[in-house]
Formats: sequence, C-alpha cells, structure tokens
Amino acid sequence: MPVVSIDAARLNALLANSYAPERLSDALEQIGCDVEEVVELGRFRCPVCASMVEGSQGAETRVCGVCGHSQEAVFEQVDTITAIRLDLLAARPDLFDIGGLARALQGYLGEVRGMPQYPTAASPVVVRVDASVARPESFRPHIRCAVVQVPPLDDVGLATLMKLQENLHWGVGRDRKLASIGVYDLDTLEGDIAYTTLDPDAEPFEPLGMPGVTMSGRTILEEHPKGTAYAHLLADLKRYPVLRDAAGQVLSMPPIINSEGTRVRVGSTRLFVDVTGPSEAAVVNSLNMLVSSLCELGGQVSTVRVIGSDGAEVVSPDLTPRKYEVSLSRAKQWLGLPLDATSLVDCFERMRLDVAALDGGDLFQVTCPAFRSDVRHMVDLFEDLAIGFGYENIVPAIVPTMTVGRPRPEEQLSHLVRTALVGLGYTETMSLPMTTEADHFTRLGQPVPEHFVRVANPKLRALTVVRSHLMGGVLQALHENRRRPMPVRIFELDNCVRLDPAGENGTTEERRLCFADIGPDAGYASVRARLDALLWELGLTATFTAVEHPAFVPGRVARFTTGTPVEGLIGEVAPGVLDAFGIDLPVGLVECLIAPLAWDL
Amino acid sequence: MAGVVLTEAAATVWRALEAGPREVGSLVASTGLDQSRVMVVATEGEAGGFLHVVARPRDEVEPAEDLAAQLALGLPERRAARLLADAGGALAMADFVAAARDADVAVNEVFRFGTARGWVQRGKGEVVLTDAGRAALDAPAADEAALAQVLAGQRFADEWAGVDAAEALRLLQGRAGLAKLRKRTERVLALTNAGAAALAAGVTVKREQNALSQEDLRSGAWRDITLRPYDVTLPAATVRPARLHPVRRIIEQARQAFLELGFEEVASPAVESAFWNFDALFQPQDHPARDMQDTFYMAEPARTTLPDPAIVQAVRGAHEDGGDTGSTGWGYTWRPERAEAVVLRTHTTAATIRALARKPNPPHKAFCVGWTHRNETLSFKHLPVFHQIDGIIIDEHANLATLLGTLDAFYRKMGFSGVRFKPAFYPYTEPSVDVMVYMESRGKWIEMGGSGIFRPEVTEPLGCKHPVLAWGLGVERLAMLRLGFPDIRELYQGGLDTVEGVPLCR
Repeated sequence: MPVVSIDAARLNALLANSYAPERLSDALEQIGCDVEEVVELGRFRCPVCASMVEGSQGAETRVCGVCGHSQEAVFEQVDTITAIRLDLLAARPDLFDIGGLARALQGYLGEVRGMPQYPTAASPVVVRVDASVARPESFRPHIRCAVVQVPPLDDVGLATLMKLQENLHWGVGRDRKLASIGVYDLDTLEGDIAYTTLDPDAEPFEPLGMPGVTMSGRTILEEHPKGTAYAHLLADLKRYPVLRDAAGQVLSMPPIINSEGTRVRVGSTRLFVDVTGPSEAAVVNSLNMLVSSLCELGGQVSTVRVIGSDGAEVVSPDLTPRKYEVSLSRAKQWLGLPLDATSLVDCFERMRLDVAALDGGDLFQVTCPAFRSDVRHMVDLFEDLAIGFGYENIVPAIVPTMTVGRPRPEEQLSHLVRTALVGLGYTETMSLPMTTEADHFTRLGQPVPEHFVRVANPKLRALTVVRSHLMGGVLQALHENRRRPMPVRIFELDNCVRLDPAGENGTTEERRLCFADIGPDAGYASVRARLDALLWELGLTATFTAVEHPAFVPGRVARFTTGTPVEGLIGEVAPGVLDAFGIDLPVGLVECLIAPLAWDL
Repeated sequence: MAGVVLTEAAATVWRALEAGPREVGSLVASTGLDQSRVMVVATEGEAGGFLHVVARPRDEVEPAEDLAAQLALGLPERRAARLLADAGGALAMADFVAAARDADVAVNEVFRFGTARGWVQRGKGEVVLTDAGRAALDAPAADEAALAQVLAGQRFADEWAGVDAAEALRLLQGRAGLAKLRKRTERVLALTNAGAAALAAGVTVKREQNALSQEDLRSGAWRDITLRPYDVTLPAATVRPARLHPVRRIIEQARQAFLELGFEEVASPAVESAFWNFDALFQPQDHPARDMQDTFYMAEPARTTLPDPAIVQAVRGAHEDGGDTGSTGWGYTWRPERAEAVVLRTHTTAATIRALARKPNPPHKAFCVGWTHRNETLSFKHLPVFHQIDGIIIDEHANLATLLGTLDAFYRKMGFSGVRFKPAFYPYTEPSVDVMVYMESRGKWIEMGGSGIFRPEVTEPLGCKHPVLAWGLGVERLAMLRLGFPDIRELYQGGLDTVEGVPLCR
C-alpha cells in the first residue's frame, strides 16, 4: 500500500486556522485515514532531474525515486518538514493528496460546510479522437481531458502533482491498466490535439527525462526505464496510442510516457491534462480526482471538447454532482445513533456534502460531488453520517436479543481428544495444511496418485497439495525435535481434505488425528498402550486387524475400527520412511479419523 | 574428650592419611570415593583444623601419539644439523633444501626450531651450522631428554631426573606436534596434629546416605541414617508439561468468547467456490484480490456448481446494476463461469456468509474459526496459510452502536483491557470499523481487526433484509503480538521449543 507524506505546515496553510501536527493527525484518523506516524523529514534535491526527494530526518538521501539517479555524495538538502505519513485508502482516491485531505479537514474541523464548488469555464482546446484507438490492435478507446490554470508551480507543487498522478495510477488506474494520466504545459502545445496511434518502429520522439534523445515506441518499451516497467500493457498491440498537437509534436505515448518537449516545469501555470484507458469509469474518475484536488490548491478548471471519430462530442471534465435520497429513519436503524433532521444535516455538511429536506419528512436529498466515486448506495452516505457524527461519540450498546451458544460437534469431540492426549504426555504441534507431493506421498513410500486435491497456481512450490492426512506434518515435526531429550511425544489434530465427487465443491473434509512417540523404546507397544488409553477415555473399544502399509514396518501395523467413525492405522514407521524424513530413532505412530465434517449448507 | 563425629567418607580419608600425606588422585584411587566427596572431606577437615590441604602447581606433558617414532627418527633440526655437519658445516640454500627434501626433513621446522635453538643460521643464500649446533650433535637437548622420560611414564616435570626442567618446558612451548603442556594443581592432604590426636582418641562414624530405601524405612534403620543435605539454592532440571499449541489456545479462547456471547459455531469447506468466497460478498470479478497472483485456484477440483439459481440471479443483479438493492452495482457483465472456479478460501467470511444465506432471518449469531489461504510467499511476517476468526450478527437491533458494543465485549473477553474504534474502508461493509486494542505488554494501542455492517448488495441477494454486523481478526498476528516471536514461521515448523517456550499465562 503506497504511503504519502503530508507536510503539516502546507496543510495548515490550506486551512483557515493553524493546528498542531498531532491534532491534524488525530482528525485524519477520525475521518478514516490510516496515519502511520508524524515524523520529521528532510527534503533533498536530485542533481539530475531536480526532483524533490524525501528522506527521513538524519538519513542521507543518495537515490532519486523519480529518475532513479543514485550517487556517492548526499543530495543537497532543501529543507526539513514535519510530515504526517498516511497509508493510502484504496477506496478513497479523493483523499490521496494534500488538496483532498485539506478539503475533508475543512469540513471535519468546522471551518467550511457543505459541498465544494468547482465552476468550470470553456477552454478553446479541442481533442479529436481517431477511430484507430478503438480497434483491437491498438485498443485504448476512452479519453477525457481538462485544462487547469494553477498558480505558478514551485518545486513542491510539482512534486505534489507528480505524486498524486502516481497514486491515482495505483488506486484508480490499477497500475495504469485501466487508466493513465498525462499532464503537460499547455503553453508548449499548438492547436487542436489528436488522440491517435503510431507505428512503434517509425515515428520516434523525445521521451521525458532524455532531452536530445529520440526513440521509437518500440525502443522506449525495450530501453527506457518507464517503458520496460509498463511494456506489458502494450504487449498485444500492433500500433501504440499517442497524443499529438496540430504541429505534429508528440505529447505522450500513453500509458507509458510523456514527451520531453511538453513537460511541466517549475513556473508552469497552464496545464493540459489527459486521461486515457480501456475503462471509461476509471478514466472519468481519475480526471475528476485530479482536477478537483488541483482546485483545492488554487487551480481553475476549463473544459475541453473531446470529439469522437463518429463526430459525437463530450465536454470534459464533467464535474456535475450526483444526487441521492437518504431516509432519516433508515439511517437511524442502520447506525443506531440519536439523529434528527438537524443533526443529520449537520453531519452531512461536515463531510462536505450538500443536503436538503424533501417535503419536510423522512427523506433528504444528498448532493455528492463528482470526486466521490466511492458512493454507490445510500449506506455509503450512512458511513459519512457516522464519521460526521464521530465514532468516538458513539455510545456502544449490546444486541438485547437472547440467543444460545452452540459449538460444532467435531470441536466438542476434539476438545476431549486434546484433553486426553495432553494428559498422556503428548504436546500439540500444528503444521500448514498445504504441502508438497514429496512430503505427502513419496517420502511416505507411496506413489503420487493420479488425482488429489491440487493447487493450480502456487507461488511457492512447497504449497501444491492440500493435505489429506497428518502423518507428513508429524514426521517433519519429529525431525525438528530429533535433538531433544527422548522420548518425544507429539500430536496434531486438524482438518484434512479428500476428493469426493459427491461432496460440496467436489471434496469431503474430515477432522483427523495423528500422534507419535519417538525414542529408543518407541514402537508399536508404546503407542498401542496410549491409543488404548485414548479410546477408553472416549468410551470406545477397537478391533485391530493386521494389514500392510508402505509407511509402516511389515508385521507391525494394524488397522483399527471402533464401530464409530473413529478408525485408522497404528504401527511402527518403516525405517526407509524415517530415513526419508531424516529421523534416526524408532517411531510408533497412529493416524486416524476422528469425525467427518458435515456442513450445514 | 568426646569422640569426633565423622561421616563414613571422612573416616575413610582420615584413616588413609594415618600413614602420611596423600595426593587427592591417589586417595580417589585407593578409597573408591568420588573426587568431589574427597574434596568435601578436605574442606570440612581443614575448617575444623584436623587436615592440612596443600596445593602444588605441576607441569604435565602429554605426549603426541607418534612421539616415540618422532624421537627415534630424530627431530628435524637435529637431522638438519647432521646434514650440515656432513656437508662441512654449510650449504647453499638451494642445495640445503634439496638435501632436506631427499632426507624427508621439514625445512620450515628446521628454520623455526633450529634457529630458535641457535643451531643453524640463515646467511646470504646459505645455511650454516653454528658452533652450538655442532656441540649439540653429541648430546640430547633438555627437551629431548625430558621427552624420553615422558615416554617412560614421567609425565610431570618435577619427576624428571637430570634434566633442566625449566629449559625443557621453554623449548616445548608451542610445539604441540611433540607434546601438549598442561598446568595442573595437585592437592596433598595430611592430618594435622589435632587430626592425628582425634583419630587416635577414637572417632564416631555416622552413616550418611543420599536416599532411604524401602528396606531402610521398613527395618527402622532410618533411625541411624543421616540423609546428606542438599544445596537447596541450586537450580533443578528443566521440566515442561505437555500442552496445547499456542495458536490453539488463542483459538479456544476466541471460541469460548463467542459461545459465552450466545453464538452458533459454523464451518464451511476450505476448498470453496469463487461464488461464496468472492461473488456473494459483492467483490467484483475483476477485483485484484481475485487474481491468480493473490488467490490459490484449484487444479483439482477445478470447477463446481453454483447454488440455488434465485440466489445466483440476485447476486448477479447486485454486481451488474445493483439489482433490487438500491445500489448502482459495479456496472459490468457478471460471468457465472468465473464464480464456478474453485479456490482455497481466502477468508472465513466465506463460512459466515454461507451461514447467513442458510438462515437469513434474525436472530442469528454465528462464528467460524478456520484456515484461510493467500497465494503469497513465506516470510518472517507473512504465512500463505493462516487462521481467521469471523463473526456475524443478524438482528433487528443490529446497527453501528451495537456493533461497537459487541466488539468491545468480544475483545475484552479476548483479554484486552482497552478497546477503541476508528473509521475504516472495507469492500463489503458500510460503515467499516477498525478495532484498536490496548496491549498491556507493549504499552500501546494496536490495530487488531476489521469490522462493519454488510452492504445491502451482500445481504439482500441472499434474502436478508436486516443489517448484519460482521467482524474478523487474524489469529497468528495476535499470537505473534502476544508471544513476542520474531518469526511467524516458527509457529508451524513443529519445534517443541516454540510450543513450550510460552507460559500458559501468556
């Protein structure tokens, strides 16, 4: 989860009053932010790309997170700030940057009420979309744009903008897969802008960060650091998306990289923003988040006409708020809070939402700004209501309804088994319920069966099999404890899974038990005596039948049944198996079924 | 004068000393007593003024196994001296090296020890036999003479006859190839006059034993037996009782808490359909958590069947456009084949949501504890398989305030003295709450689990018309915080040090 550092002094500058960093951090927690820490940070300048790089106080920064430059000498330190470090909330991209956080705090701290207004003027910029971007071989069909006039950007403003862009790529664009953002200095562009495609092997341009070097689209994917990082997004395309101005200058090759000539610099004041991608919702949301936050930082938005290849025209951005009906009685039922019409209005306005009573009764109309993409149901607004009310102000209560507690039957039986085994001197071990074919079959002297409960895509090769017995885990635990004073007695009692076409999802699950003795005197007799004791405690008597099993010594293994589901194997583990598990003392072992699990489905 | 009372051991030692002073080792050999017992007798006797104990440092020489052969052959420096003498007293370096190699004499030892003895000298490109070296040819050096006596059994320097022992020890220093030098302390015991007098006057011997036998107790012999006292301040051997695994103890504590609060325990398959694991919880089918990267998909069984078509249809509606739930939905086309995929359940909410679907009407309180799975690699902080605890409440009085009250009660039963809440954002609850608990052992608030009220897009398609409270927590995380292990993998490696290393009170 990305972390963002918010400069407390700059945050205060966006608020009417000034607050201690701890007060700000508390308020941010109360609106749901994940505050990691409040910390002193040094800020350094990369000597190559001039970006501001943060380093924790005392740490010496030698690596640039923006251009990747690293050097022996410490970067020049620009200043020191008190920063509030936040884990980003994937669900709330409107709280990704200082502008959005200031907007929320203004309401929560009582400085401003109701919905922020972002009036838009019309810019003369026109974007024409070529039909090729909708074709399968060059697919990236959606585009939305805006022009934003901002106060001349300084170092910090530039860094903030780039960080927000990067975080929206993560949170909304899903790492540029669904949408990606480009920001340019509008004063470097000429005339109408075309959203079209280019030939990856011809039509080279100067990519960002490499002044004086021109590269073809394919070369960028192969050689430029941003190109190699995101090449997979264009892997299936024959032509790559591109934005050009009327003079033929490339603005960017989304979702990979902008051009050097159109880059935003310190001092830029007129920004052109585009968002492109295969998901219209992600494209629209990314743009709305970005321009709304820029408005909080003093920006003014102008619209752009996006003209499709079919002539259809979209005026972008569309920041029209959405309206929801909220029922006061439903809200009270959902939240259990002492709300009335007045406090409901108060709480919503504190959360930067507008609210109006509908016919003076139970229903209210809540107006929700475009950047609140997280709202899709009345209950999402209930959450705002609860946060506006303050979680710390809620009086906890208990559901008054009487109910009776009821454990699962296999758990009751398992409790008896554990009690008896601990009394017999067995300590419980637990092993992961996923294992390998070698540990589960081969080392136990058994061939890998044709069919078993098997994972398709494990990241770890040690996790391919879902266990159907516990022996493997117990023998591994005996190996772990081979240097302990002998004898060692351990057990494992847990669920195992078998394939079963008649079972739910094609499997049956059962509670199984394995216990074992290891030591110079361990063997059939030692575990048999203790198995008898366990069965006696459970009120069971067993019948033993000599059987053959590859994991046990021939002639020293039996199958036992009890006339109940409890049944299994008891024996001395075969020396070949001991050897395979790295065990150098005799082992007596019992593996048995305790209870098949029945689901109440 | 009343006779002195002695233990049997003391009487044995005293009597052995009547003929004269004895060294401890020889006393051990002749009396059959342990060395420690003899020393106890010595210390006690000395304290009472009956015994003298004289400590004498000795140098012991322990010969190398092949010392006899080495001496028979001659030390390298002696053989080199002979070579040089035969060659007229000097050899060019190259000639000397060649001659030494032919005679199997180690050149480096010649230079190291021969120079130290002053027998040979390395000049300008040549090796010269000194006058001392020439003189040495006729008689063994001090160390050689000493080693000959060592081989004959005189291992202590003070036993050597006709040898400059100090010189011999100096030469043997650092020559472990021949022999190892050890510093020993020999203790000699002797009766003082008082001791001899007491013995002459007659002593009383008391019977002292370590333990009483059944026979001693039956026969009454115990009346004449003194049990030897112990040093009761010494530590004893470590004994650990057999016990439950620490994770099991947390699970049992949580189960107990739920049962006391009137919850029904439920379970569901670990091998689960994507439908119950994801779709029923309103998780869109393109959600990153459903990726192959994050979730274990099964090769066998690979597909399963979907439940009651009415439920499937309602879930599809909630995803696509909100259906009848009043939601906008996710705005995509829901595909049944993605819901039919089989996964290893990623959370125990799959069990509680099934319980909700089975019995959607209030009152219904259910909980589940079980293994959950995430397709991750192992690290000291993360396991790909771990336990979760999940609880739900379907009730007419279920709301945010009763959620907080229930969480407070539950976490106090889990042993936390303080419980606090903060807003959070989880995909299938609205509102969502993070539970912070106060850990006495760490002196700070720690985020312990998530909770919330199920979204209507989750509950209504399953036929539930009431708010449903839901919460969960990870067992291993709690175990690690409580037990203070540095590495979470230890929990499931089977080592008993891990299981037994935590007292029951933790």
